[in-house]
Amino acid sequence: MASSDFTLSVADCPLIQVEGWDGTLSQFESSLSASLGAKLPASVGETVRHQSLLVIRIAPRRLWLALDDGTRAPTLAIDPDLGCSVCLGEGRVRFGLAGLDISSVLSTCMAVDWHAPAAAPGRAVQTSFHHVPVLLLRTGETACDLIVPRTFSRSLHDWITDHQASTENSLNHAGGNTRIG
Amino acid sequence: MNARNKRLPEGGRIDRSHSIEFSFDGKGLAGYRGDTLASALLANGVTLVGRSFKYHRPRGILSAGPEEPNALVTLGTGGRREPNLPATMLELGDGMAAESQNRWPSLAFDVQSANGLFAPFLSAGFYYKTFMGPTRRSWKIYEHFIRRAAGLGRAGTEPDPDRYEVRHAFADVAIIGAGPAGLSAARAAAAAGARVVLIEQDFLLGGQLLAEQSDGVAASWLGQVEAELESFETVTLMKRTSAFGIYDGNVIGLIEQRNQDRPPYSGQARQIVTMLRARSVVFATGAIERPMVFPNNDLPGVMLASAARIYLNRFAVLPGRKVIVATTNDGAWRTAFDLAEAGAEVTISDRRTTIPPALAVEATRLGVAVRTATRILDLRGGHCVKRATLKGPDGRFEAACDLVCVSGGWSPTVHLASHLGVKPRYREDIGGFVPGAFPANQFGAGAMMGLHATADANEDGHRAGIEAASFCGKSAPVPAPSKLDLGETVTTPFREVPCAQGGKAFVDFQMDVTTKDIELAHREGYESIEHLKRYTTLGMGTDQGKTSNFPGLSAMAALRGATIPETGTTTFRPPFTPVAIGALAGRATGHHFKPFRRTPMHDWHLANGAEMLDVGLWMRPWFYRRSGADVNEAYVAEMRHVRQAAGLMDISTLGKIDVQGPDAATFLDRIYANGFAKLKVGRARYGVMLRDDGIVFDDGTTTRLAESRFFMTTSTARAADVLSRLEFLLDTAWPELRVSVSSVSDEWAAMSIAGPEARAILAAAFPSLDVSNEALPHMGSYEGEWRGRALRILRLSYSGERAYEIYVGATAGEQLWSCLLEAGGPLELKPYGIEALGALRVEKGHVAGPEIDGRTTLDDLGLGRMVGKRSGFVGDVLRRRPALLAHDRQRLVGLECMEDGKRLRGGSVLFRPGEKATGHGWGRVTSVTFSPERDRYIGLALLAGDLATEGSEVVAVYPMKAETVRARVVSPIFLDPQGERLRG
Repeated sequence: MASSDFTLSVADCPLIQVEGWDGTLSQFESSLSASLGAKLPASVGETVRHQSLLVIRIAPRRLWLALDDGTRAPTLAIDPDLGCSVCLGEGRVRFGLAGLDISSVLSTCMAVDWHAPAAAPGRAVQTSFHHVPVLLLRTGETACDLIVPRTFSRSLHDWITDHQASTENSLNHAGGNTRIG
Repeated sequence: MNARNKRLPEGGRIDRSHSIEFSFDGKGLAGYRGDTLASALLANGVTLVGRSFKYHRPRGILSAGPEEPNALVTLGTGGRREPNLPATMLELGDGMAAESQNRWPSLAFDVQSANGLFAPFLSAGFYYKTFMGPTRRSWKIYEHFIRRAAGLGRAGTEPDPDRYEVRHAFADVAIIGAGPAGLSAARAAAAAGARVVLIEQDFLLGGQLLAEQSDGVAASWLGQVEAELESFETVTLMKRTSAFGIYDGNVIGLIEQRNQDRPPYSGQARQIVTMLRARSVVFATGAIERPMVFPNNDLPGVMLASAARIYLNRFAVLPGRKVIVATTNDGAWRTAFDLAEAGAEVTISDRRTTIPPALAVEATRLGVAVRTATRILDLRGGHCVKRATLKGPDGRFEAACDLVCVSGGWSPTVHLASHLGVKPRYREDIGGFVPGAFPANQFGAGAMMGLHATADANEDGHRAGIEAASFCGKSAPVPAPSKLDLGETVTTPFREVPCAQGGKAFVDFQMDVTTKDIELAHREGYESIEHLKRYTTLGMGTDQGKTSNFPGLSAMAALRGATIPETGTTTFRPPFTPVAIGALAGRATGHHFKPFRRTPMHDWHLANGAEMLDVGLWMRPWFYRRSGADVNEAYVAEMRHVRQAAGLMDISTLGKIDVQGPDAATFLDRIYANGFAKLKVGRARYGVMLRDDGIVFDDGTTTRLAESRFFMTTSTARAADVLSRLEFLLDTAWPELRVSVSSVSDEWAAMSIAGPEARAILAAAFPSLDVSNEALPHMGSYEGEWRGRALRILRLSYSGERAYEIYVGATAGEQLWSCLLEAGGPLELKPYGIEALGALRVEKGHVAGPEIDGRTTLDDLGLGRMVGKRSGFVGDVLRRRPALLAHDRQRLVGLECMEDGKRLRGGSVLFRPGEKATGHGWGRVTSVTFSPERDRYIGLALLAGDLATEGSEVVAVYPMKAETVRARVVSPIFLDPQGERLRG
């Protein structure tokens, strides 16, 4: 059986997407940084936490502002000549996964190298889960969040809960290969 | 040891303390842990293990690896039944029940072995030439009998009860093959600091080292390296795992076998497919020994020399007592020596005239008879070889034998290395193909690179391991490799060319392809190696010709008078070894076959009697059971209700795209065929997009929310395609445009109220909202909030009735849906499903997926007027091609059924009355519905020529049900052509 410490939680995911235009990106970023009172992640996959706000760079000119559930969204006044914003919080759900077996569980559903620097704690990885685009936020050594589209969330939740229990049994029984990470 | 029991009293890598009971064709036998099924069968004196594909000739075990063409068996029963498994790769397990294949009534007496009598008629191309007539349909009759007669094992038909797994894994360095080169590479790469995965198809590491005596220097080296590798935290050893394909980005497809012989423990996977992503790959896949081609070379008892040595030294099985070792190279001499040491009487028949002196001295010491410049002319025997006819410098002679070991040289295993397009390169000095130039992140080592001496392979693997780790930036100091010298002699092999001879000389054992078949193919012009393959089926079996490719191309090269490089090889493609479909599917079966997409109102639909329908990935309400007993009754009732009162439809599945930026209007002007730049804020417009080639791509409605912000909706089916297209155009065609496009499909719950009472219901649900025609006209919009959530209302109609699309934040979707139903209750608001939705749009003459089918133009669909004289939009240039402007193109029409009690069907082909109903006709019916308005079946169709004139009569033929019905061509707009209902 899988280790009993594996947990899966589900929460809403307040989220704002902001994007700057090519050519005026540095002005856009300065302006945004000032509005948020926080520096912005420099490269794709980097995240910066500022109080209850996590800033994630998901594309060279695009950032996601993920708020802790229940917190109020910051007021953003983005100059249309510099960029734009759109709310995505109604359409996303945040799964919180934790447990010693988390890498084994995830290895059955997504191609993310748990040991790679690109997926180190504090990093974000855009990937797919059962053909559905998701964002993996590595929140700890044995924990991560998945930001998944709301319309697929129940299906993906079922996938994890239906299969998590048998994963360790399947992968690590006597005679099987070891240390796949 | 007796004639039946060929197990030696000691030696081998088997666990004699663990006896295993198994059965073959129902007969109980015994083996040991550490045996394969093949070794256990040989140990029990079983030489006849299968029947050949076409001629049903008796066949024995040829090899000791995945190249085995003959010894294919079926394991398991019921849903676990799995055919065509090479006995050489099956780890013997307790209770294993194996069956031979392709024989009736028994393996020893197979009725279809009579096929051999008809061999002259069963040559290559026999089916193509013979079963051509008398009519074209005759093949359908022949095929049934041919398929029953041919083939190998038969799969089970019951559901497979076992579970399979697909997973993803990562490594710095992946090493394929755990022979001396692979082991050495793994050790070096790990010592350099790389994360290493070592992949081995066998259940033991060692590769060809396992053919060495189990207490010798090779065994000692192997034990030491294995212990070293296990001590590395960064090394993963994957035994029982075959690499079946190499794909872009160094993705390696692996299939791991578990519990092949018995039901797995609860919850365990029987087989696991791993998609391994490696930064660099070392191919250490070794080489496969080639058989020799001479008459009756397929008799049981003919075995690859290397295989005989493996059975002897690894499994302690002496496969024969009177042995002829026929060879073209030095390697097989080691087999002869080991067999002689084990007590066999051995004669070496070497095609070469000169032999390395060391071999001759050793042969003399062991009493091995040596015949140089000698070849086998023929073999005789029934279920096992008994006599051989040979020819040497002194003429022909005969020799009794019960085992013939053959070695026609070695073919480096270049298959996997070729999957990504690395062309094999022929090396004359080794008489085989090696990989061509590798990309920077791939390396080759050992025998697969033509290094057949173990010492060389060891050194080469070490080098490859260091280089592969270095590619990943891992360059810690690596200790020198442990020396391993087995004292092999390696000289340039003699290349024997297979040629047609007296009896059946097999080139491809599994597909029963002989030298005569190759000669026939050449005679008939199939000279290309690719044509040869397809004409004769050479190399097309489950073994993919691992032992036959080189002899086959060698024979064709000789017939053409061409060199081997000129003749070339066939293309090696995945999979290298067969992979069960169940393993590829993994857990994506049943409920998890695909991810389901649910709208925010999904639970309400289920709780309120909706019959759900899978629409792509979405689950949508098809109809509500309260509306009728079945879909046909329900959708008509729901349609009537919408036309007479009001209906509520869940349209959350529509694609929704947020388009923002100073250049958003310019962008939309380019991607839509009709203009959007002048669309006023607060107004919506129907738009059509074209593909680059001028064909209609998708349609939808876009609303201008602000000067630089638009809300686009697309069809449900094309939502992802449209977004991808927009992103592509912004990234490649117009990067200068300051526009952002984002999918907000999941963001909004969407519902539509349609019907004469729609406005009143809207007013009741949103009392503070001015819903008058002036404030919210047709194609008007409203933005606001509902209970703290964003709200959008667009007045659009798909049904032809007055209608409003209402969008609210997804988390409030079900709440608003219920609220609307409550507010609309007094006005008879009821939900309706997509069957009714589709029917309503047909009555209104709206085109949808069946009409926008990737073949139709704007003019075909009657939408050409929307464009007028505009230009500069995507698809504008190519839509003007003459073929797309031709007057005889099929165009959209309406059809009305003319016969009482009959119906139209989608997909029907349209003909003129009295015309013979053959071919493609003049058009086709795209969509149909029963129309309560017309009280008959109506439809939309694409129809060509003068038939497309209103008032014409056509005959709709539906061949699937042999139905024919007369219909009248009418306007595609069956309802309210002036649009008074929707504007009123």
